[in-house]
Amino acid sequence: MRALPATGELCFSAMGTRVELHRFGGGAADALAQAERAIEMVDDALTIHRPSSTTALNEALRSRQTATITDPILLDALIRIDDARAATLELFDPTIDARHTVGWEALRFDRQAATISCADPIALDFGGFGKGYALDRAVLALQEAGVGCALLSAGESSIAVIGEHPLGGTWSFAIPDPRQPEATLVELELVDEALSISATIGAGSAAPERAAMLRPGAPSPVTAPRTAIVVDRSGAMAEMLSTALIVADDAAALRLHDGARRMRFDLTPAAPTRIFV
Amino acid sequence: MTDKFFDLTRRTFLDRVLMASAGGVMATATPWVAMAAGAETAGAGKVRLGVIGTGDRGRALIQNIAKTRNCMVAALCDTYAPNLAKARQWVAAGTPEFSDHRAMLDTRGLDAVVIATPLHRHAQHTFDAMDAGLHVWCEKAMARTIADCGAMVERARTRGKVLQIGHQRMFHPTYLNALRRVKAGEIGPVTQIRASWHRNNAWRRPVPADSDDRRINWRLYRESSAGLMTELATHQLQVGNWFLDAVPTRVIGSGSICFWKDGREVYDHVALIYEYAGGRKVIYTSLLNNARYGCEEQVQGSKGTIEPELGRIYQEVPHRALALQRMQADVKRGHKRTIPIGGATWFPELPVTTPGESLGWGEYDETMLQFEGFGEAVRKGKALPGLLQQAYYASVASLLGEQAMDKGEAMTWPTSLVTV
Ligand SMILES: NC(=O)c1ccc[n+]([C@@H]2O[C@H](COP(=O)([O-])OP(=O)(O)OC[C@H]3O[C@@H](n4cnc5c(N)ncnc54)[C@H](O)[C@@H]3O)[C@@H](O)[C@H]2O)c1
Repeated sequence: MRALPATGELCFSAMGTRVELHRFGGGAADALAQAERAIEMVDDALTIHRPSSTTALNEALRSRQTATITDPILLDALIRIDDARAATLELFDPTIDARHTVGWEALRFDRQAATISCADPIALDFGGFGKGYALDRAVLALQEAGVGCALLSAGESSIAVIGEHPLGGTWSFAIPDPRQPEATLVELELVDEALSISATIGAGSAAPERAAMLRPGAPSPVTAPRTAIVVDRSGAMAEMLSTALIVADDAAALRLHDGARRMRFDLTPAAPTRIFV
Repeated sequence: MTDKFFDLTRRTFLDRVLMASAGGVMATATPWVAMAAGAETAGAGKVRLGVIGTGDRGRALIQNIAKTRNCMVAALCDTYAPNLAKARQWVAAGTPEFSDHRAMLDTRGLDAVVIATPLHRHAQHTFDAMDAGLHVWCEKAMARTIADCGAMVERARTRGKVLQIGHQRMFHPTYLNALRRVKAGEIGPVTQIRASWHRNNAWRRPVPADSDDRRINWRLYRESSAGLMTELATHQLQVGNWFLDAVPTRVIGSGSICFWKDGREVYDHVALIYEYAGGRKVIYTSLLNNARYGCEEQVQGSKGTIEPELGRIYQEVPHRALALQRMQADVKRGHKRTIPIGGATWFPELPVTTPGESLGWGEYDETMLQFEGFGEAVRKGKALPGLLQQAYYASVASLLGEQAMDKGEAMTWPTSLVTV
């Protein structure tokens, strides 16, 4: 057995969930505090539950004004979402439009000028994207502080790891089947990657109204019980892809799915575990 | 209790009050505390109080006044002789007694009066005392009508007298500490306060042969009381306004005589929603046939909840991932295994039953402190800042709630209130 690296952990509430940061070895003494700060800055920029850059932007969009984005975090987040349009088959969409008639495509986003506008009243809610994106920024902060081995989680649906497992080799995660506590949907091996899990159904709960997800352009929410799991270098990308997989119709899901790092499971009680093998 | 021990507990209590209310934000939110806690000892002589109304509350007040260093009871007044007799044991032998408050006011020798009579008498007793040149300490609620509450404020202003209303929570270390933690952002922005005062009894007193129901059970008659609203809710509406740092914009409510159909005129069930700017709310219920939830204000923010009556603060922290804790332990003993990760699951939305954390502090002498503060105010001829406004708005809120229930209509906050 090799010498154990120094460990440390930090737990706090942010992004509407419990964030846990576990570090193993190397790096500055205040690395975890720096990572916490990075997450809080994302929370402060993207939250819609208190005054933030995002609520200011939503105010402008609601009244059809052109918003100038002065917050670098918000601007960066919007650029990442814009860049991921093709990869998510345009199925990840953080816009909220009460009438379900317009979406991201209706926005005029000028990244050079840092402005955004829309002819129709619209608003943005970054939801799960924010958690993945915050983990990305925290990973960066930890790496800059010299941490080479860490596990970060925002709730249990967004995970990121830095480096290999503290005892060597990959970090391995098992995703349980919410229908049967003892069964596993899939096991995944991660190194320097992020994991996002999206679902329309939770353990022991047949309450689809709690998890209705909107498919862009579709008038009704997705209520079929399913879970999508995505592993990616970027937590933000993993979140966008897992959301896209959840709302995708079968044809689109087939295109998004790769069987190893991007997958979707049908969780109706009698269904065979995987839709796509 | 020895004098020395009393001094010690008194000092600890005051220190706690001062500690809770220290600092810029708290000094602005509780401007009355520093002056009350800094009250000087009697020196030239104690402030002489004449107590009008020596019923249950009046006698409790008399005992608290006896604990102060700067006030004394110099006269007693009650229209009901048996209550005067019960009060006698707490005051110096030979303290003059009156059955008519005007006679007491005429005798001179008083600096101020303490009013602990039924609600519908408060305004008249206040006017008479102030017209006789005396300062007034009056029990909550202020008066039976919103107009009379305003008239009391006005009379104090025109006569240049101190008017202080008995809202003891503003002197309570647990409440002060709760407010301090709210202001420090510990429970996030407060968006809702759910307050209740639930009891399981008739709220009716036995009527002695020498009196009558309207006098003894004045709380149950509309002429003399707005029932649960003025007698109980007013305390909690004061807390609501105080913690939300605002007055309501509107109130809707429903009241009924639902369980105690014994001829009473006031509701035994009230349920109201007070709306505040920014979509915030105080949700209030009071009833008289179920005591499970008792008396409490649940101050709710996105990061936590404070329950001052229980003296507890609860953090709104999601459960720790057990799997991650186990992973830490595994790594420490050099053991590697797959980490089961819950995924996007949710727990059934049951109430959180964690015990929370104590807000601290067990010795309370808030009613005594109210009087030390009043004594100081009388000496200086200057009211404790901020108090009367809190009391006025709490009384208006309770009476406006009564109107909303009676009319079955939303009532907007009156624009015609006097300035405090
Ligand atoms: N702050 C608190 O926590 C608190 C608690 C209880 C009561 N109170 C308030 O105290 C006041 C009195 O309540 P209580 O429970 O003591 O009622 P009570 O009925 O026990 O006492 C009222 C007393 O006033 C006397 N009285 C009536 N008319 C009078 C008059 N014209 N002149 C002189 N005396 C007169 C009555 O004979 C009686 O003794 C109420 O306003 C009530 O809301 C406050």
